[in-house]
Amino acid sequence: MSEHATTGKEIEPVDARAQVPPVAPAFLRLQLWIRRPIEWIRQRWQRHLMYRTVISTLLFTSLALLAAGAFLSNQISSALFSERFNQISKESERGLTQARSILESASTTDRVSTQSLVNSTLATLEGDGATVIRDFVLKPVPVAGDENLYVGPTASGSLTTRVVPDDLAESVQNNSGIFWRSIELGVDSNREPGIIIGTKVLIPPGREYGLYLVYDLSSVQSTLEFINRAMVFTGLVLLLVVGFISWSVSRTVVRPVADAAYVSERIAAGDLDRRMKVAGKDEVARLGTAFNHMAQSLQEQITALNNLSAMQQRFVSDVSHELRTPLTTVRMAAELIHDARENFDPLTSRSAELMYEQIERFQNLLNDLLEVSRFDAGVAVLDRESTDLNVIVRKVIDIATPVADEYGSIIRFNAPAEGCVAEFDPRRVERIVRNLVLNAVEHGEQNPIDITIGQNDSSVAVTVRDYGIGMSPEASQHVFDRFWRADPARARTTGGSGLGLSISMEDTRLHDGRLETWGKKGVGSVFRLTLPRTKFDSISSSPLPLEPSVTEEIVGLLGDSFPLTGEVPKIGYTPLILDDEDILIEDEISLKPMDPTDSQGESK
Amino acid sequence: MKARILVVDDDEALSEMIGIVLQNDGFDASFCYDGSGALEAFRESNPDLVLLDLMLPGIDGIEVCKQIRAESDVPVVMLTAKSDTADVVRGLESGADDYVPKPFKPAELVARVRARLRPNETHAAETLTVGDVSIDVAGHRVTRADKQVSLTPLEFDLLVTMARKPWQVFSREQLLEAVWGYRHAADTRLVNVHVQRLRSKIEVDPEKPQVIQTIRGVGYKAGTAS
Repeated sequence: MSEHATTGKEIEPVDARAQVPPVAPAFLRLQLWIRRPIEWIRQRWQRHLMYRTVISTLLFTSLALLAAGAFLSNQISSALFSERFNQISKESERGLTQARSILESASTTDRVSTQSLVNSTLATLEGDGATVIRDFVLKPVPVAGDENLYVGPTASGSLTTRVVPDDLAESVQNNSGIFWRSIELGVDSNREPGIIIGTKVLIPPGREYGLYLVYDLSSVQSTLEFINRAMVFTGLVLLLVVGFISWSVSRTVVRPVADAAYVSERIAAGDLDRRMKVAGKDEVARLGTAFNHMAQSLQEQITALNNLSAMQQRFVSDVSHELRTPLTTVRMAAELIHDARENFDPLTSRSAELMYEQIERFQNLLNDLLEVSRFDAGVAVLDRESTDLNVIVRKVIDIATPVADEYGSIIRFNAPAEGCVAEFDPRRVERIVRNLVLNAVEHGEQNPIDITIGQNDSSVAVTVRDYGIGMSPEASQHVFDRFWRADPARARTTGGSGLGLSISMEDTRLHDGRLETWGKKGVGSVFRLTLPRTKFDSISSSPLPLEPSVTEEIVGLLGDSFPLTGEVPKIGYTPLILDDEDILIEDEISLKPMDPTDSQGESK
Repeated sequence: MKARILVVDDDEALSEMIGIVLQNDGFDASFCYDGSGALEAFRESNPDLVLLDLMLPGIDGIEVCKQIRAESDVPVVMLTAKSDTADVVRGLESGADDYVPKPFKPAELVARVRARLRPNETHAAETLTVGDVSIDVAGHRVTRADKQVSLTPLEFDLLVTMARKPWQVFSREQLLEAVWGYRHAADTRLVNVHVQRLRSKIEVDPEKPQVIQTIRGVGYKAGTAS
């Protein structure tokens, strides 16, 4: 069997996949791809405290780390730069001043000697032995129309005069101090920071030149980059550590809470033996201990209550059973005496009759009690069978007609001609309808009783209407209570047990049906039973209205009682209209003027 | 000749009352008030029918019923207070022919007793055959493959009722009326239990009955399915 089950499971997804259209529009898929993780995260976020704690901690920590990192990196880079710059500026000042004084004090007059002097002086600048690589640029200040120079533009290393920014050249040209700029060195793909420092020098024959020293700051840059990398790494490690800490802390707090939630769910579901695990003596352990204590006392009380009610139910059942044997004896004796009552004097004979009738009533009461105790013990079993509700109701009318005759009421019956088949327990439904009809006869004040059957797709219904004393809205809330009486002063004449309607209610509940009532003082009352057609159906709406739209006018109507020997009669039977306009009786011959004084006198 | 009836019930008042009712209707009643003495009382009085309470001190009614069935085919009618429990089925399975739920009316009890004591109609020499089972109706004898099978009068009636009309499917209600004498719908468990008991005696394999077929949703029928 299990083999079958697995193959079945294996086959199913393949079929399901085959049904998915092979190409979904790209944007739809993209939407799904984006939406799914967001949805997933949203759910997690809403459901798990731990997720929320860890994620928000991580978010805030990384924000703080970013801010701190930016600040630190900024501080460090400016400190590094200023230190380097101080060093460079001292060095360059010395070098430049030296070069300037040498060049300015030169007395050479020809091109060659001047060139060699400049070369040697500049060579000292280059080979200064400084800790950083230092290059120089010598750029003549252009003079319009004069192309006669002893020394042309010169530069060391890979530099050209183009590295000198124009604004620096201008400053140097127009002033006599030392000026500097930050520049970028190298080609496009490989730029490095640098500093260029320049001053004006005079070179024979009195021509002005800009002499610049260029410092490469790439070592500072790489130091800075190294520091930044270290900081990022540290930050990541820190983030991980903080994440782990917040996870473990929230876990220690959230775990017991989640545990408690799970255990209380289990207890609520009836698993009363569940307890929380308690370890240590901290707040969490106190929570666990208190929780377990609560669960313990709840369990004790529930068990005690259960035992009590089980005991009570068993008691009622036992009493009912124990009463049966003596009742059997009494009943047989009463029947013997009852059968022989003609030989007694009138008083004894009447006593025999009373005794016989009351024993019958006593037995009915006992049967009802036993039935109620069965419902209370939850041992009542529903025995569904496909049955025609019409047939059941006719059976009930069969039984009720002699009683109705005694009371002077007639019973009118209106049912769909095609029958009304549903799955229910015929024994129980017959009992419900019988209770409703006898109740209507008892309270019907000799007016007709209308029984109507209706059906829709999911349910079948029967209403029993009387035009008798009716009842107040409060009364209709209590009619299904055990041993409840509408009017305690009113004599109970049919000898009902007072349990009939509450047993009907229990029977209805067993069917997942509905038993509802409507009533108005002096007008009458309606009881409506609605049953689902099968056990898989549920009642959405009843096929019959509960509250009649026309209430007052029909009280005095007369119609023929349903003859019980044959088929449903077509003549003499008062049809009821069963649409939304509700119950209007269209048989004018049967209309009889209502006598208000008479009916009032009866209802009082 | 008056029919003798043994009443086994621990409630003396009820026993006496039952006795009065039975005597009123022309039966001879004897009594036993506990389960352990029931078999002895049965042997002593040699009754035509036993009224047996299910709940008895000493040995319970079901055990008593089995003991009686072990040595006699006398009809047994149970008296039960709990009509809705498995006790009824267990009682029927232990061999009781019928049951009357408490509280019962005297007329009801007498009707049940009379139905079980119904004198066997005098039959002409009639032999019925169903499968490999042959029934000698007048001689009250059933044989399968030349071996005699011992049936209680109720089981015999049940078999004969169905065997007489092998073309007819009997509903449980029809059988209740024909065999048990019920006029109103009654407990169809009676039929189910007794058909099982009958099958266990006359069928070669009670799991695959050949003599009494079950027609699903309708009832039972004698003979092969064809």
